[in-house]
Amino acid sequence: MATAVVPPGISLREIGTAGRGVRPDEVVLALSPGFAGFFTKTIVDIPHAEVVRQILAGVEEQGVHARVVQLHATADLAAVAHTGARLSGSGIGIGVLSRGTTMIHQKDLPRLSSLELFPQSPLMTPEIYRAIGRNAAQYAKGDSPQPVPTLNDQMARPRWQAKAALLHLKECELLVKGAPATEVDPVIEDPA
Amino acid sequence: MSSLPYPEAPQPRRSLRTEVLENRPVNKDGFVQEWPEVGMVAMDSDFDPRPSIRIENGRVAEMDGRERADFDFLDQFIADHAIDVDAAVEAMALGPRTVARMLVDPNVSRAEVLRTARGLTPAALLETVRQMNIVEIMMGMQKMRARRTPANQAHCTSARDNPLQVAMEAAEASLRGFSELETTLGVVRYAPLVAIALQVGGQVGRGGRLTQCALEEATELDLGMRGITAYAETISVYGTESVFVDGDDTPWSKAFLAAAYASRGIKMRFTSGTGSEVQMGNAEGRSMLYLEIRCILVTKGAGVQGLQNGSISCIGVPGAVPGGIRAVAAENMIASMLDLECASGNDQSFSHSPMRRTSRLMPQIMAGTDFVCSGYSSTPNYDNMFAGSNVDAEDYDDWNAIQRDYQIDGGLQHVGEPEILAARSRAGYALQAVFAHLDLPAITEREIETAVYAHGSNDLIPRDVLEDLKGAQSVMDRGVTGLDLVKALHERGFADIAENLLTVLRSRVSGDLLQTSAILDANLEPLSAVNDANDYAGPGTGYRPTGERWEQMKRLRHVTSAENPELEVS
Amino acid sequence: MSPTAFDPAADYPVGVKRPDLLRTPTGKPISELTMQNVVSGEVRPEDLRIAPDTLRIQAEVADASGRPQLGQNFRRAAELIPVSDERVLQMYNALRPHASTKEQLLAIAQELESGYGGAATGALVREAAEVYERRGLLAEPGA
Repeated sequence: MATAVVPPGISLREIGTAGRGVRPDEVVLALSPGFAGFFTKTIVDIPHAEVVRQILAGVEEQGVHARVVQLHATADLAAVAHTGARLSGSGIGIGVLSRGTTMIHQKDLPRLSSLELFPQSPLMTPEIYRAIGRNAAQYAKGDSPQPVPTLNDQMARPRWQAKAALLHLKECELLVKGAPATEVDPVIEDPA
Repeated sequence: MSSLPYPEAPQPRRSLRTEVLENRPVNKDGFVQEWPEVGMVAMDSDFDPRPSIRIENGRVAEMDGRERADFDFLDQFIADHAIDVDAAVEAMALGPRTVARMLVDPNVSRAEVLRTARGLTPAALLETVRQMNIVEIMMGMQKMRARRTPANQAHCTSARDNPLQVAMEAAEASLRGFSELETTLGVVRYAPLVAIALQVGGQVGRGGRLTQCALEEATELDLGMRGITAYAETISVYGTESVFVDGDDTPWSKAFLAAAYASRGIKMRFTSGTGSEVQMGNAEGRSMLYLEIRCILVTKGAGVQGLQNGSISCIGVPGAVPGGIRAVAAENMIASMLDLECASGNDQSFSHSPMRRTSRLMPQIMAGTDFVCSGYSSTPNYDNMFAGSNVDAEDYDDWNAIQRDYQIDGGLQHVGEPEILAARSRAGYALQAVFAHLDLPAITEREIETAVYAHGSNDLIPRDVLEDLKGAQSVMDRGVTGLDLVKALHERGFADIAENLLTVLRSRVSGDLLQTSAILDANLEPLSAVNDANDYAGPGTGYRPTGERWEQMKRLRHVTSAENPELEVS
Repeated sequence: MSPTAFDPAADYPVGVKRPDLLRTPTGKPISELTMQNVVSGEVRPEDLRIAPDTLRIQAEVADASGRPQLGQNFRRAAELIPVSDERVLQMYNALRPHASTKEQLLAIAQELESGYGGAATGALVREAAEVYERRGLLAEPGA
């Protein structure tokens, strides 16, 4: 798929089929099928480049290595995050959907469980993404960080519920049945 | 609007009027285009099935264009349990326009519509309401509502799960007229204390209010079986097989659960609503209303007395598409048309716009439903643990004025401050006594004094949450029941509250609250669709607020006296 | 005690109009559920449950008011009264999708029918077993 150029842009250069990591000090960031492809920004217009940059910076500032994969067969947040966790050498993965909904997962937990869940995509900010990267890295090191505070806004429903549903339906259209996850190199082009 | 902090394109000049309109609250609401192929459409879709039925050997052999062998589990449950095969052929032959006319024609009785409706398939019910505009849907609702007297339900919750606040809100809500009180929790472990508080508060004053604590099924059933709560309504059903299975249930598991509740004498209704399937991405290309009609028929077939519907927690979805709120009114009307109790939504934050919030209420408050809101937030919305309601404690005076303007009964009335303070105070002292009697963490005078005059949990003295949670656990461990609450209240000098609670518990033994649309009236006697059947038959008939009730509704906070215009009456 | 026959079309609310017909599952007349008896400890929590005969009376009321499905639900409920709380929840969980094999569901139906006289509830579970088989919602055997 052609890379849409919006400032700052991001393209996911495909490296190959994603394999299980061996480094115990890595976190896998797992992205949904339309991330940085059909879609370029979250439901509240945070550029996907910014999402990736903040999460990776959060992971790396803890001295932990990050690897990025993209899923093609599912847009279910728990499945995306759990796949990331299972591919991760530390067993810790972060799943992010195109609209911005995010989850930190651990490979030995049941799929429908999670370490931390951020269900309200409209309330996500670059700072929260950075804190999520930081916490995931701490879990990978065996620490027990304070969970990132989740926000709640009662008026998110009238404003965003239907758009979130549309974004989800659109992302579901991009699914390729049975396609394996791919490892990708995120190339961020920031004109700034 | 985009909030990108990146190079700005030059903006065309905007008029001052556009700026004013741009800043109106309605423009914070989300609106989306229809996408019928995936079910993002309210009720007018070319992808919905067309009505049909074929009966063979007393069984439905084909329904809405699908052969029995191809039925999914909802089709089969509906065909075998909801549709009356003896009525079906004749009812289906009438055609949607005739049935729609029957709904609005005062010469056709409610009973006659019921005889027809029981033979209609999901697609036939959909085609029927597609003939109807919003006023006709409201006329249908007015006639088909099961209970003659409309009522209302309150949410009594606390952002800090403070039991004292919940007890006082319950007592105030009861005084203001709500027949049912529902709570839920931020911290689930707090449930036993908050449920006790709700039950005690709901029996203050006239009492007899039915209470509910929305939790996962096992705990909810447990509290109900102990007599700490009186009814349940968060038993969800869905309109496609895949979403139903994702919810880890089937129509048969839910029907079994319905029998389980009734076997413990607990009133119960199901919950469903337009938009839930498309929101989960599995609408199977059907419109929101078509899928909701399947939920209504599953409820009917399971032998459940009622349904909470009106989109409920998915209201942002139908609220964003064209004709969506018409579809929401139609789903309430169809529940009534199938002779189910209808707790008709208006219970979730719906719009930033005060005008849209009011307009959202109109079909249900004007036509009257069994419960106009399935819950009205009795607290400010920041304390509402159901993620906010369409109307909250700050809207009480507006609600009462609307009732008075149109002479329509939304179940509430204005109450003077001294009475409210007295009820809140009494609820506080009653709960203090119950906690003391049961060795639960003490409630202090200062806490009560503060809470009586409070608006929301921000105004309260915080409780020792860890101690309260230990107390909550001990309530479960010791097997405290409603009977223990009765004894505690009686022994500590709250005989009237104790007597009211015992009456509520006794009504479980009689089973009278299990009948359709049951509440307790002012004498704490059961009032349901059996002994208060809706008898609307055109102008001059049916329920109308008159006499003492109308006098009560005429009172507001500020009304200028006719006798002496320098004074106010209230 | 009144010898008058119960009239389901006129005798609702039963607790108001025909309390003589109502007993607790422990056999006490409903009129004995007084505050005095609560305070003296004569009324126990198990007295505040509904009895099978009461549900059958309410089923007649439902039928007489044109609500046959509601009546049928009350008849199923009457059968579940003697089943323990714990067992009821286990049966409910067994009816969830992919939770039971056909044999397991049929065994529950059998238990309801022979252990509790639960013909109506047993039939519901048997029907579920058939539908789950056709729609692929049974548990994998041995899984």
